[in-house]
Amino acid sequence: MNRLAVSIAILSVMAAGCGVSVWATDKVAADMMEQVELTEKAFTDGDTAACTAHAEQLDGIWDGVMKYSILITDLGHALEITSSIAEIRSFAEEQNDELYAACDRAQAQISMFREMQMPTLWKIL
Amino acid sequence: MAVILIRACILYVVITFSLRLMGKRQLGELQPSELVVTILISNIASIPVEDASVPMLMGIVPIFTLVCLDVIVSAIMLRSARFRRFIIGSPRIIISGGVIQQQEMKRLRYTVDDLIEAMREQQIFDISEVYYAIVETTGKIHFLQKTDYQSATRADVDKGGSTTDPPSVIIRDGIQDTEQLGMLGLGQGWLQQKLRENNVGMKDVFLMTADKNGSATLIKRERSKSG
Repeated sequence: MNRLAVSIAILSVMAAGCGVSVWATDKVAADMMEQVELTEKAFTDGDTAACTAHAEQLDGIWDGVMKYSILITDLGHALEITSSIAEIRSFAEEQNDELYAACDRAQAQISMFREMQMPTLWKIL
Repeated sequence: MAVILIRACILYVVITFSLRLMGKRQLGELQPSELVVTILISNIASIPVEDASVPMLMGIVPIFTLVCLDVIVSAIMLRSARFRRFIIGSPRIIISGGVIQQQEMKRLRYTVDDLIEAMREQQIFDISEVYYAIVETTGKIHFLQKTDYQSATRADVDKGGSTTDPPSVIIRDGIQDTEQLGMLGLGQGWLQQKLRENNVGMKDVFLMTADKNGSATLIKRERSKSG
């Protein structure tokens, strides 16, 4: 009976952990996507200060979750996102047109980071 | 390299704990569901050890999930005979009254060679000696020999014998095993009296065993020779 209780407890903790991880990933991904879009918009508007500020904010969000993200996602994928965000920040400061490409790349990577944690039917199968 | 080392140590602890959680039964004869879990665990555990970029949780979560599910399924099996039959099947009789049940053997995909081999493993070399054989859910076959070929027991020869549990160790290397002493129903007073009778202190005892009747064997520690 003791084993049964421990097993149910472990399964419950893991299920709760998975739920929290899905929720947190979704929230972080949404925040990051928003910052990428704002960075891109500010760049289009020619607002260098806002563009840099949003890029820094994006970098800050990712910095805060990077160490936790490697608990649930492949290290290589996390490093790809880090690299894309660093590019966005750099291009925003330089007002380089390549920022659009970097933003698109980051959006795709963030979207994949989010999708990988969502237990959708097609992924389960 | 250090990451791999630490991961291997963590996974060792996780797997050891998981197997303990599954119970001692797991280490002996495996039921089909337990065999599946054991094979899966060994495969899953190797992934995060081999590849440092894969998160440890990718190994730990499925291992614990499988083990916990196995424990829960076992608990349900204890309560429901129908569920137990569905998961692990039921034992099958392949020899009854000395007659081989050929249809049953065909259903189990057991060949005559399998049967003969299992007999030899149990020191039976002639099929005519077998009265009854049953295939357990683990796949093992157990045989009952005809009475003419069975060894005589104490009951057969009508002799009395010891019905006491075998002796337990109560002092090893000068250290008392209080738990064993309690399980034997012998108190501290009895132990001290035995030590006095043998004229030794606790530290001088190398090994002492006793049974529930209070019958004890004491081996003194050898003195180290100086010079």
